[in-house]
Amino acid sequence: MRVKIEKLDEYRWQIPREGKMRVPGLLFASEAMVEDLRKDKSLEQVANVATLPGILGRSMAMADVHWGYGFPIGGVAAFDEDEGVLSPGGVGYDINCGVRLVRSNLRREQIAGRLEELSLAVHRAVPSGVGSQGHRKLDDRELHQVLEQGAGWAVRNGYGETADLEVMEEGGCMRGADPSAVSDRARERGRPQLGSLGSGNHFCEIGHVAEVYDEEAAAAFGLEAGGVTILLHTGSRGLGYQVCDDHLRMMIRASSRYGIDLPDRQLCAAPLGSPEAKQYFSAMACAVNFAFANRQVLTHLVREAFERFFNRSAVDLGLGLVYDVCHNIAKWEEHEVGGIKKRVCVHRKGATRAFGPGHPDVPARYRRTGQPVIVPGDMGRYSFVLAGTGRAMQESWGSSCHGAGRRLSRKAAMSVARGRALFRELQDRGIWVRSDSKATVAEEIPEAYKDAAEVVDVMDGAGLARKVARLEPMVVVKG
Amino acid sequence: MDRGYLMRDHTADMAIELWAPSELDLLVQGARAVVDLLTRGASVHGADTREVQLSCVDAEDRLVCWLNEVLWLALSEGFLAHDARISLGERELRATVIGEAGAREKIASEIKSVTYHDLWLEHASDGWRARVVIDV
Repeated sequence: MRVKIEKLDEYRWQIPREGKMRVPGLLFASEAMVEDLRKDKSLEQVANVATLPGILGRSMAMADVHWGYGFPIGGVAAFDEDEGVLSPGGVGYDINCGVRLVRSNLRREQIAGRLEELSLAVHRAVPSGVGSQGHRKLDDRELHQVLEQGAGWAVRNGYGETADLEVMEEGGCMRGADPSAVSDRARERGRPQLGSLGSGNHFCEIGHVAEVYDEEAAAAFGLEAGGVTILLHTGSRGLGYQVCDDHLRMMIRASSRYGIDLPDRQLCAAPLGSPEAKQYFSAMACAVNFAFANRQVLTHLVREAFERFFNRSAVDLGLGLVYDVCHNIAKWEEHEVGGIKKRVCVHRKGATRAFGPGHPDVPARYRRTGQPVIVPGDMGRYSFVLAGTGRAMQESWGSSCHGAGRRLSRKAAMSVARGRALFRELQDRGIWVRSDSKATVAEEIPEAYKDAAEVVDVMDGAGLARKVARLEPMVVVKG
Repeated sequence: MDRGYLMRDHTADMAIELWAPSELDLLVQGARAVVDLLTRGASVHGADTREVQLSCVDAEDRLVCWLNEVLWLALSEGFLAHDARISLGERELRATVIGEAGAREKIASEIKSVTYHDLWLEHASDGWRARVVIDV
C-alpha cells in the first residue's frame, strides 16, 4: 500500500485521512528520514493505527520510527475513555521495556585507564544473555509482591534506596496491577528472570557526559561534563512477552465479538470498558511492575560492582538514579482534548513520556526543567538526555522518541559485521564491549542503527523535547 | 510442491516463509524454522515426545498458536521439536511433538513471540504457503 505523505514544516509530515482512517497520521522526521521510511511499511502502520475506534487527534510516529508489528515502533496513539480501545499490540511484547540513567561523582579520567577490568567487573555482576536468569528465583509469594509493588518491592528487600522511587515514572509501581490476571505460563517465564538483562538490544553501559547543551537542566539532573554515567536498558523479560501473547489471543476473539475491523490482526483490541481490556490492563500493569523491579535489582547489582571495584560506598561514589522511563506501555493520563481536560488512554510503543515543566506527574526536583527523557543510541557513538516540554503536552500527548531506531535488519547487520574484529574496532575507539554472544554484538553493530543525533535533532527542532546532554560509551555489557 | 522454509529480513524482527504440500506438513516446517532460529542452526535430534492440544479461531490463528506452543516447549523445558504427528479439527489442533528434551543449552537466540503481524497463509492448487513474522 502506497501511503500519501504531505510536508507540514521542517520536522512534521502529515498522512492525510483516507480509506478507513478515522484521524490523520503525524510523523516527526527530517526529509532524509522520510525517504528511508517510504521503503518499508512503517507509514502504512501509522495509517493502520488511525483506523482503530476512538483514536483521538492523530496517529503519531516519533523520529525513531521503524517497521514493527501492529503499531510501528516509535508509535504513539491516545484513545477516548468511552469510545476508545486498548490494544496489546500497541504496547508490544516487551512490556515496560525502558531505560534508566544513574549519575556518579566519578570523573572520566578516573576510569579511562581501567576499562578492561571495569568491563569485566560489570559483566560478572549483571546476569545477561539469552534466557539469562537472575541470582534469585522468586517463590509464589515474592512474585505476587513484585507484580503488585514493582520497584518498591525491590527497595523494601534491600535492592536500592527509597529515594530511587521518587525518580521513576509512576514511582516505579503502576496502579491497577492484579496478579490473578497473569497466567501460570507468564509466571513460569518470569520467575527465574528478575534481575537479569536478557539479550538483543538490552544493555548496561558505563559512559561519560561528553557535552552539555543546557547547563541548568543538566545541573538539575546531576550531570556535568566529564562525569561518569550508567545506562541500563531492559524490560519485563519473558513474563511480559507471555502476558502480551496470552492477551493477543483473547483480543483476537474480542475484536470479532465487538465488531472491530482490523487492517492487521496484531492490532486486535477491545473497548476500554470491556472485561477483556480491563483484564489485559491488570496483567500489563503487573508486567510493568516486574520490569521496574528488574531494573531496580540490576541497578543494585551495578552499584555493588562499583563499590567493590573502587572500594568506596555507593553513597560516596554518588551513584544516584537520575530517572527511569518506560518505552512500551499504555497509561491513563489527563490531556487537553479540544480545550477540555480529559482522561485518555495513551499507548506508547517504542516511545517515551516527555512531560514538560510544571506537570504534577514530574518529580518535584525536575518540575522546573521538565522530566528527563533518556534516549539511548548505539554502542559505538552516543546517547542523549533530553527534557520534556510544554509543547509535547500540546502536540504529542507528552511523548518523544525512545532511541535511535534500527535501520538494518539483524541479518543485514550480521552481513555488514562479517569478517570484522568488532571488539577490537570498538576498543580502538575507547569502548570495551563484553558479551557472551559474538552474534549479538554483530547484530547490534553501530551501523545497524540510525544516527541518534539526527533523531534527537528532529525532536528538539519540533519542540517535543529539549537537548540537555550527550553521553558517550566507555564500557558496554550486551546480552 | 516440495517442502521447506526460508528466513526473510524484517527491520526489527524476522519473517519466515513456509511451503509444503499440505497444511500438516506446513505446520511441521514452521516448527523446524522456529527451532532453527532459536538454536542459530544447531542440529536437533531425539525421539522424546510431548502432547499438545490447542483451540483456535481459524487456520491463521492455528498456525501462530502452534508455533508459539513449539516456542513454549523450548523455553519452558528446553524441548526442541524437529517433527510432529498432527491432526486438525475445524478449530483445534492435536499433536504429538517429537524432539530433543533437556536441550536448553542449544538455545542461542531469543524469540519473544510469533506474531499475527503481516500474517499470510494460502492454500493453492499445488500446496500451502505462509509467512509469519517473529519478534526477536
